[in-house]
Amino acid sequence: MAFEFEPKILVLATLACAYPGADAVGKAHLEYPSNVSILRVPSPALFPEDFFARAYARGIDGILIASCGSDCPYKGAYDKLAARIDRLVQRMKEGGLEIERMRLTAICTVCIKAFLKEVTQMDSRLRELGPVNRSAATEIWQASLRELQAGEIVQMARSAS
Amino acid sequence: MSEQKKSSNPKTESQKPRIGVYICRCGGNISDVVNTDALAGKVKQLGDVAACRVETFMCSDPGQATIVEDIQKQNLNRVVVASCSPFLHELTFRTVVQRGGLNPFLYEHVNIREQDSWAHKHDPVGATSKALRMINAAVGKLHHAEPLERIRMGNHRQTLVVGGGIAGLKTAAELAGKGVPVILVEQSSSLGGRVALLARTFPREDEGSVLAKKLIAQVTDHPLVRIFTRARIERVSGFIGNFDVKIAFEPKPDASASSDPQGAGHSANAAEVYASVGTIIVATGADPYKPARGEYGFGEQPAVVSLADFLRQLATLPNGNFIWNGKRVRNVGFLHCVGSRQVEGVNPPQADGKINDYCSRYCCTAILQQALTLKMRFPDVNVFDFYQDIRTYGGHEDYYTKSSAAGVVFLRYHAEEPPVVEPGENGSALKVRVKDYLTFGEEVEVPLDLLVLGVGLVAHDIPELIDLLKLPVGADRFLQEVHPKLRPVETAVNGVLLAGTAQAPMNIEETLSAAGAAAVKAAIPLSRDAVELDPFVAEVNAEKCNGCERCLTECAYTGALFKETVQVDGESAVKARVNPGLCFGCGACVAVCPTRAIDLKGWTLDQFDAMIDGLVEAVPVEG
Repeated sequence: MAFEFEPKILVLATLACAYPGADAVGKAHLEYPSNVSILRVPSPALFPEDFFARAYARGIDGILIASCGSDCPYKGAYDKLAARIDRLVQRMKEGGLEIERMRLTAICTVCIKAFLKEVTQMDSRLRELGPVNRSAATEIWQASLRELQAGEIVQMARSAS
Repeated sequence: MSEQKKSSNPKTESQKPRIGVYICRCGGNISDVVNTDALAGKVKQLGDVAACRVETFMCSDPGQATIVEDIQKQNLNRVVVASCSPFLHELTFRTVVQRGGLNPFLYEHVNIREQDSWAHKHDPVGATSKALRMINAAVGKLHHAEPLERIRMGNHRQTLVVGGGIAGLKTAAELAGKGVPVILVEQSSSLGGRVALLARTFPREDEGSVLAKKLIAQVTDHPLVRIFTRARIERVSGFIGNFDVKIAFEPKPDASASSDPQGAGHSANAAEVYASVGTIIVATGADPYKPARGEYGFGEQPAVVSLADFLRQLATLPNGNFIWNGKRVRNVGFLHCVGSRQVEGVNPPQADGKINDYCSRYCCTAILQQALTLKMRFPDVNVFDFYQDIRTYGGHEDYYTKSSAAGVVFLRYHAEEPPVVEPGENGSALKVRVKDYLTFGEEVEVPLDLLVLGVGLVAHDIPELIDLLKLPVGADRFLQEVHPKLRPVETAVNGVLLAGTAQAPMNIEETLSAAGAAAVKAAIPLSRDAVELDPFVAEVNAEKCNGCERCLTECAYTGALFKETVQVDGESAVKARVNPGLCFGCGACVAVCPTRAIDLKGWTLDQFDAMIDGLVEAVPVEG
C-alpha cells in the first residue's frame, strides 16, 4: 500500500501574539492539518541558527516562525530574529535545503485567517517537496555551530594578544 | 531555618524523573475527538512516566486532588497535564503541584483542546497522535527541568486608580479602608462620573447623585486617598509592584472656575506629578450609545429622545398632565436594544466597521423602571414597549410584572426586523411600524407623541491608556479580563486590574461588586513585603562562560546583563551576569552565546531540543 507522506510541521509561536492566535483558531472551531505541532516561546530571537538546522536534521520538514512582528513586546528582538533567519535561509540555499521549509511571519492574537493560510500553505508545499534532506540539514547544523563557536576563537585570540 | 526549607521541598532534580501525566477529557470537549484512553495507553509506555490518568475535569477539585495524592503516594517529581490552553489553567496546576510538595516549575502544560481537539474535529486519529506527540515533547522538556524560584522584588504599597466614576470611587474607598494608599486620577473636573447625572436608579429608586456623593465623601475625607482631577496618565513603566507613573494636568480653562469642589490635592501650578505604585486599576467607564442621525428618527424627529435625557427631564416635570416641550403627551414608546444586540446586515456598522452584537445588560430594567414611573405618575399616558427579549435579571423581574400589571403594552420584534420610525399623522408626532411576534407577526402601527430609545453602552475610547498599559481589548471594544469566571477582574498584564464598565456593560450593582473585587485583587500583592515575578529570565552558567561579551552587545535592556571579574583557579576572569530584576526574558542573548553558557530559565535550548526530539520520535497512534 502506498504510504502518503505526512510532513512534520513545527510552529514556533510567541506567547504574546501567535500562541493565543492559534488558540483563537481552535476556539472558533476552525480546522487545519493535525501534523502541525505548536510550541510556545517567549521570543524566537532566543534561537541560534543551529537550533533550526538541528530540527531539520532530526526530521522536522518545515518550520513556521509565528512571531509578533512589529507588535513584539521585546526591544529590538524581532529585528535580531529576522537577521538570524536571513543568515539561516542563505545557508539553507547554499547547503541544498529548500528555503520554503522555513517561513518567518507575524500572527496576532486574533489573526485566525492568517494562521490558517500560513499552516495550510506550508502543509501543501511540503507535501510537494517531500521529506527533508536530513543529511544536508546535519551539515548545515554543524556548519552553523562551527561558525558560532568560531566567534569564540576570534574573541579568545583577541583577548590573548 | 535552612534545614526547614530543605525539608519543605524534599523532591529535587537530582532524583531520577518520575513523571505523572494527567489527561483531561474536558467533559467531552477533548475526549469526543481525542481517544483519551488509547492516548493514556501509549503515554504509559513513555520513558520515566510513572503514572498516567484520564479524568473528566482535571481542573475540578477531585481532579486536582488526584494529582496531589499521586505526587505524595507514588513519589512523583514531575507533572504534565494535557488539557486546555495554558492561558486558562497553567497557573492552576502549578499551584496544585506546589500543594503536592513539588517545585511549581517542575510542571508542563500541554494544550490538547484549543490547539488539538477543537482544531482537528474531523481527524480524531490525527488529533490523538498529535496529543501523544505534544505530551512526549513535554515529557522531554521536563527531563531538563530545574526547580525555579520566583523573583522577589520590592513593592510600592500604593495603587493607582484611573477614573473617578462610581467604580473608581468604590475601589479607592475600599483600598483606603484596607490601609492601602490610593492615587485617584480623573480626567474631568469632577468626581462621580455618569451615575452622578442620573435622576433615578434601580432598585432603590434614589437619585444617582446621592450615591455618588456618598462615595465621593468616603474618598475625599480619607487621608490615604490623593485625588487628581483634570488629570491623565501620560507615562507608565515598570511591572507589578513597581510601576512608575507620570500624571499630567489639563490647564484650567479659566482661573475663575474655582467652583470645582474636588480640585484640591495638587498645587494649581503643578503641571505633572510622578508616582510609584504597585498595582493599577482601570475604571474608565463606558459611554451611552449615541444613535446615528436618523437611526430610529434620532436627531431628525424632536420627539425621539435617549433614555438618559428622558430620565432627566421626567424628574423635573410637575404632576398632572404629562407635558413635554410644551405639548401634551398621551402615547409614549420605549424601544429596547438601541445600539445593542445588533445584527450584521440589518443594523448599519459602527465607525470601526463592526456592529455591537453584545447585550448592554442595564437597559431592560432601566426602561421598565421608567415605564413604571411614568405609569405611576401619569396613569392616563399609554405606554408601549418594543422589545426583543426582556432581561430584567438579578432580582429585578418585579419591574416587568409591575409594568405589565400597570398596563404597559408590550410588542415583541425580531432582531432581523427592527421597528421603523416615521413622521406621525393626525396630530401625533411619530408612527412606529413593527411586526409584533406576540400576535404572530402581525404588522402593527403605533402612533406616538414621544419615543424613548433604550440606548446601550459602548466602550469609552481610551487609545492612549490602552497603548500605555498594553491592555487587552475584546472584539466588543471593551477591556478584556483573563477569564470571565476564574479571573474576572485581572488583565493579562500582571498588576493591572479592571473595575466596572470599562470591562463590559454592567448596571450600578454589578459595577460596585466588580469594583470591590478589583480593590481586593489590587491589595493582595501589596499586602506582602515583596512581589513575586515569574522566574523566566536569563541566567549565565559561569563555568561555561568564556567572557566573550557577545551577549552584552546583544542585550537591549540597560543593566540586565553586565560583566564582572571573578577569581577562577587563582586567576581573574571576566564573566557575564544577569540582573534578574532588569531582565525582560526575551532570550536574545541566548542565540549568540558560543558555549551555550546563557539560557532562559524555564525555556532552555536543551529543553527546546528535547521538545523537538519528543515531537519527531513519538510513534503515531493508530486508528
